[in-house]
Amino acid sequence: MNHIDCKYYLATDAFKGLCKRTKNPVNADEPACSDFEKAPKCRHCKNFSAKTDFMGLCMHKVEAYPDMQALTCKDFTWS
Amino acid sequence: MDSKRTLSECTAYNYYGAQPQGEIQSREVKKSPSVRVDKARQLYFETKSSVSMEFPYWYTRRWEELEGEIPIVRRAEALKAGFEHITPAIFPGELLVMGKAHYLRGSYPMPWLSEAFFMAQEDEMYQDALQAGKISADEVTTMGQGGGNVTRSVGNVISIAGKFGLRKEEMPILLHIAQKWFNKSVDDVGHKYEQLVPGYKEKEEIMRAVICMFDSGYTLPQGREVMNYYYPLQYGIEGLKNICKEKLDQTAGHPDMDRLYFYRAVHIMLEGLQSWIKNHAKEAKLMASLEEDEKNRAEFLETVERLEWLADNSPRTFHDALQLIWILHVAVLNEDAISGLSPGRLGQVLYPFWKRDMDRGVLTREKTLELLESMRMKFTELDCFASMGVVGGVLSGNTFNNLCIGGLTKAGESAANELEILILESAMTCATPQPTLSLLYDEKLPEEFLLKGIECTKIGTGYPAWINNRVAMEFLLNNFKNEGLDVEEARAWSIGGCLETSAGSWMPLELDGVIHYIPGGSAPATSVGVHFISLPKVLEAVLFDGLDKRTGRRVYPSHGYKLDSYDKVWQAFTKYFSLTVEVLTLTNNIQHDVWGKISPSVINSMLKPDCLEKGKDISHKGSRYNRTFNVEVCGGVNLVNSLASIKKNVFEEQKFSLDTLKTAILENFGYNSASETGAYSLTGQMKTTNFMNWLKIHKQCLDAPKYGNDDPSVDTIFKEWQDYFSTMCRNYISLYGEPLYSCQISVSTHGPMGSVTLATPDGRLSGAAFADGSVSAYPGTDKNGPYALFSSATCYNHASSQNSQLNLKIHPSVVQGREGARKFLEMIRAYLRKGGFHVQFNIVDSRMLKDAQKNPGKYRDLMVRVAGFTQYWVELGKQIQDEVISRTEYAEI
Repeated sequence: MNHIDCKYYLATDAFKGLCKRTKNPVNADEPACSDFEKAPKCRHCKNFSAKTDFMGLCMHKVEAYPDMQALTCKDFTWS
Repeated sequence: MDSKRTLSECTAYNYYGAQPQGEIQSREVKKSPSVRVDKARQLYFETKSSVSMEFPYWYTRRWEELEGEIPIVRRAEALKAGFEHITPAIFPGELLVMGKAHYLRGSYPMPWLSEAFFMAQEDEMYQDALQAGKISADEVTTMGQGGGNVTRSVGNVISIAGKFGLRKEEMPILLHIAQKWFNKSVDDVGHKYEQLVPGYKEKEEIMRAVICMFDSGYTLPQGREVMNYYYPLQYGIEGLKNICKEKLDQTAGHPDMDRLYFYRAVHIMLEGLQSWIKNHAKEAKLMASLEEDEKNRAEFLETVERLEWLADNSPRTFHDALQLIWILHVAVLNEDAISGLSPGRLGQVLYPFWKRDMDRGVLTREKTLELLESMRMKFTELDCFASMGVVGGVLSGNTFNNLCIGGLTKAGESAANELEILILESAMTCATPQPTLSLLYDEKLPEEFLLKGIECTKIGTGYPAWINNRVAMEFLLNNFKNEGLDVEEARAWSIGGCLETSAGSWMPLELDGVIHYIPGGSAPATSVGVHFISLPKVLEAVLFDGLDKRTGRRVYPSHGYKLDSYDKVWQAFTKYFSLTVEVLTLTNNIQHDVWGKISPSVINSMLKPDCLEKGKDISHKGSRYNRTFNVEVCGGVNLVNSLASIKKNVFEEQKFSLDTLKTAILENFGYNSASETGAYSLTGQMKTTNFMNWLKIHKQCLDAPKYGNDDPSVDTIFKEWQDYFSTMCRNYISLYGEPLYSCQISVSTHGPMGSVTLATPDGRLSGAAFADGSVSAYPGTDKNGPYALFSSATCYNHASSQNSQLNLKIHPSVVQGREGARKFLEMIRAYLRKGGFHVQFNIVDSRMLKDAQKNPGKYRDLMVRVAGFTQYWVELGKQIQDEVISRTEYAEI
């Protein structure tokens, strides 16, 4: 799992961000540390079914993408 | 430039006065921001422009769920869904929080406006758009190769338009969402109907030739206007919802039912804003829980409390007010592709809150300065996602948030205040491109205030621009009196975008039982109309009887004139110019009408007087003033210089025939074109083997009278052009039933538009940038000093146009010290007192710019003034960089 997958990742741009815990800069696509916790994303949601690596269905009817952040989605349920 | 020497022997610079010697001279004034803001600025420098698909995904999803709903309500629901789902981001150390997207320099595509841009190159829909000439401007635009631009795809990030980075995993959903808007976007629906305009085919050819830069009706449907923050400051968000509920009760079932839907839409949208704010409050709470430092944790908790309060209520303090203003500013930016959303006279809007806090002892000048610096960082982090031709070619990546200071109060007294002095100070300590500043000069302003403005101008970032308050008021009274604008209301004006004189109103802010009249914008976008027409390219079409020699295509029908006199040339020019304005007015009216029907403004409509009172959104003329469509042009000085050359060389002195001139133009006077050399100013060009064939005629063209030297032989042509332009615009009627007016700013169109224009009869070479602005001399041709330039510039009444634009470059040594400052202020006064509308400055040694071009890494924070905006040097395209370097540098005034 990479930093971009972590709950504590704060993206500054598409390449990199900060760790919310340490405030240190981290790169999105580099491996996360041992304090990693999964960020809520569609791919981890019970209501999401993947079709391809980059596309899937939400609630079995609406297109969604696996890496969309779901922190603000009221229907997000951990799978 | 010494015209006795060939171009290739000239130095890269043009000077008036003694050429600077020795070391490159830096600007005199150097200040630094607070530690926290300096860190924020460093973070900004390290951050790339990035786009996210969150907002457009949820917007589209909700939109599709509501098929059949009343359009404005459907729109509000879609906006609400977008806002509610933005992943909140609170960056450490921020005193003001929230942004357009979750990235620091974040934005997102809006396929509901236009989706053609996102289609893959091999996609047949993209090819269709290419055929329609829509993407021609994109093809001739270059982005800056450094700074925050994502210039190429790297790793898991895809570069879009050489500027924006998109995560690879979001590309499929982007294309999927874009496909959903095919034939439904404002662009597509507008295109369907604009083809009904007689002469539409000519419009396509005009766009393909890049005689016009972009379709204003949908590419930037809002912006270049002034915000009005009064309603949220006065009532708070929950208070505004209550107003909507009352209005809903009053209008439900009664005639003029559109009001019902408008109030419903505003209510829904406000709910979305509340969720957005509260999500950020929760995020701030999380950040507080993770924070080990007590002081930092306390700050996060203060942010929580502030956001939770402002989600419902009107502000209690200066900090609250600034935060709420920021939230609404971003909210409006998120409802459309918008550039030039100016905060207006923010120092006067915030002054009642600030004064109260200072009197109560809860705020200090130091804390105010830090808050204003933080505000500068937030504005600078803004990005605008539109097509490359717009973002790069027109805007140079800038977002044009113009903060005005000075001017007059409602009663006609000086409006300058202590908070504005601090705004100037923060612009020096935290020198960033945004917000740019404009000082509304009036004789009533105190000297101390003006000298502070001079001190700020000397830091070299190009602000404040100096604007003539009375000229602006005269323009507004002439153009808005039929809509009820009087002298008192005219004083409430401000600059929208980079330089659009915009009508405003005085709003009664009540604090502790006292009414404070604060100024705010009360007219909609001036980003619509006819934008931009390349005047030298129209003249080129005249010479070649309607052909675009670059593409070989016919743009206009044959003008039918035998060009055997200067008058015939001028008549042919006015024929083609008016044909251009006519067809573009009609097609842009349709595009903007379609925008209003399927993607109307909800948030900005709520804010703009008198939409809330009338129950009408902006596109239904809910605003107090609606005469906002204009005709913008670029390359005016090259046009005038070219006409002067034709008049003198061909017709008066008969040195060569028009046919010979045309051949010389096609041969580029014996030089390679700018695109071949990669140099876009007149200097630095390279000769071909038949250079000698054209040397004499080129010199004669270069030696012809040039604008900017107080020479009546060319200034009369300039005046004739100005009088014609300002008068003819009134013949064309906007979507809102009002005559258009002239607007004369180049932004950065003079670069890409120059790149597709052949050599011109004034001696300019093919592909070189035009003169910037509207009354700036062509680089190197202003040989008689600034006061001669001022005389040329003011040969016509500047109030006849929405603006005029003058850029001057001055060597730092000239304005050094107190004496230099005084001399500088007197020079500015002289120009404004002669009737000049606007002047702005680059205080810079041109050699520094050349060094920065070669070594961009050494100059990450170098900024220059282009034309109405300040931008980081490394983020400017080479066309504009070359043009700025070549501008005449005044080594004495």
